[in-house]
Amino acid sequence: MQWDVALRNFQYLTRGLQVTATLGLLVTALGLLLGFGVGLLRLRRRGPAYLAATLFVEVFRDTPLIMQMFFIFFGLPAVGIRLNSFVAATVAMSFFAAANAAEIVRGAIQSIPRGQTEAARALGLSPHQTMRFVILPQAIRRMIPPLMGLFTTLVKDTSLAAIINVFELTMAARVTIERTLASFEIWLVAGALYFLVTYPLSLVTQRLEQRLVAETAA
Amino acid sequence: MAFAFFLHALPVLLRGALLTLWISVLALAAATILGVIGAVLRTSRFRLLRAVGTTYVEVFRNTPLLIQIFFVFFGLPRVGIRFSGLVSGLLALSLYTGAYNTEVFRAGLEAVPRGLHEAAAALGLSAWQRFRLVVLPVALRIVLPALGNNFVALVKNSSLASTIGLVELTFLARDLEAWTFRSFEVYGLATLIYLALVVGLSLALRRVEVRITRHLRTG
Repeated sequence: MQWDVALRNFQYLTRGLQVTATLGLLVTALGLLLGFGVGLLRLRRRGPAYLAATLFVEVFRDTPLIMQMFFIFFGLPAVGIRLNSFVAATVAMSFFAAANAAEIVRGAIQSIPRGQTEAARALGLSPHQTMRFVILPQAIRRMIPPLMGLFTTLVKDTSLAAIINVFELTMAARVTIERTLASFEIWLVAGALYFLVTYPLSLVTQRLEQRLVAETAA
Repeated sequence: MAFAFFLHALPVLLRGALLTLWISVLALAAATILGVIGAVLRTSRFRLLRAVGTTYVEVFRNTPLLIQIFFVFFGLPRVGIRFSGLVSGLLALSLYTGAYNTEVFRAGLEAVPRGLHEAAAALGLSAWQRFRLVVLPVALRIVLPALGNNFVALVKNSSLASTIGLVELTFLARDLEAWTFRSFEVYGLATLIYLALVVGLSLALRRVEVRITRHLRTG
């Protein structure tokens, strides 16, 4: 065992961790923006926009993220779309995040009882106003815990970007191991670094879930 | 030209899909056993056993599956534990899914009504008999939908084992791409096969679920 190797390369690993955190935040933000729109389109239940949104959600939720990365990074250059590995990973993960966020958004909005819409419409609010002032404020509170869970998942999934050569924590660990051969130590330390980021996020998610359950039950 | 290529690629990738399915079934079987053990630990009366169960769940759920796969395949040999790519992949996938199954089974065990425990005890069943004959069968039916979701996730997650040489759909797609250079067609087709596999499985699981819980509905 050479634990000092982990110590001497700690700075290099934390540089990878910074990219991991940046990528995680970036794809969550992009995924939320896109996912919100896609989720709203999924509420329409008919028409071309609904079909396109549904196709998008199914393709990106029902296939492995790694396949999506391969298709975007290795496949798209064949039709003239050439992205560097970081951009390709960001695009693939943002689409993956958006598809998952869309279902959370749709589910939360649909979980608001119909009576709310009926009451708002009876008060003379337009469909748009009903959504904006009555449904969304309630739905957004219900979205927060599952979206937090999605963020946690995305941070873990950024490790897949290493497979298409993005420098982040997993790649930093791999490079360190290639130089030092301390595979056991470095993979353990890399795992611990991920844990340090995701475990607090999981705890926050759990706390938010419990609070929401308590609120809805009250 | 594209059509001829698809005719060539399709059988290879379909074979990969079959392997993916097999690996997922094997890992799910192991993960189900791990999940039941984990859930029993997590709901135990003893604090130490609960701590073991909780640590297992939190460690495996809060680190990337890819890191777990690399740790088993590249890390463990350094301390003298050497597994093949297939065994390493199966082991990591089972442990990872087992942590998620633990939470599913824990929720299932907790959802079994207290009265059922009491009724079984009143009938004179021992603790083990109560668990095996009464509580577990009821809990299994409760957790079936969630377990199905974990199985579908496993089918997708098994793609990561291709990185350590486990031969399944993603591995064969990468292999095919490496010697045909038809990256767009190969990854496009593999994506479609995954899509068909996951959608098909989801529909099939829903039917099984309806079948198994049919008698629970009245009328």
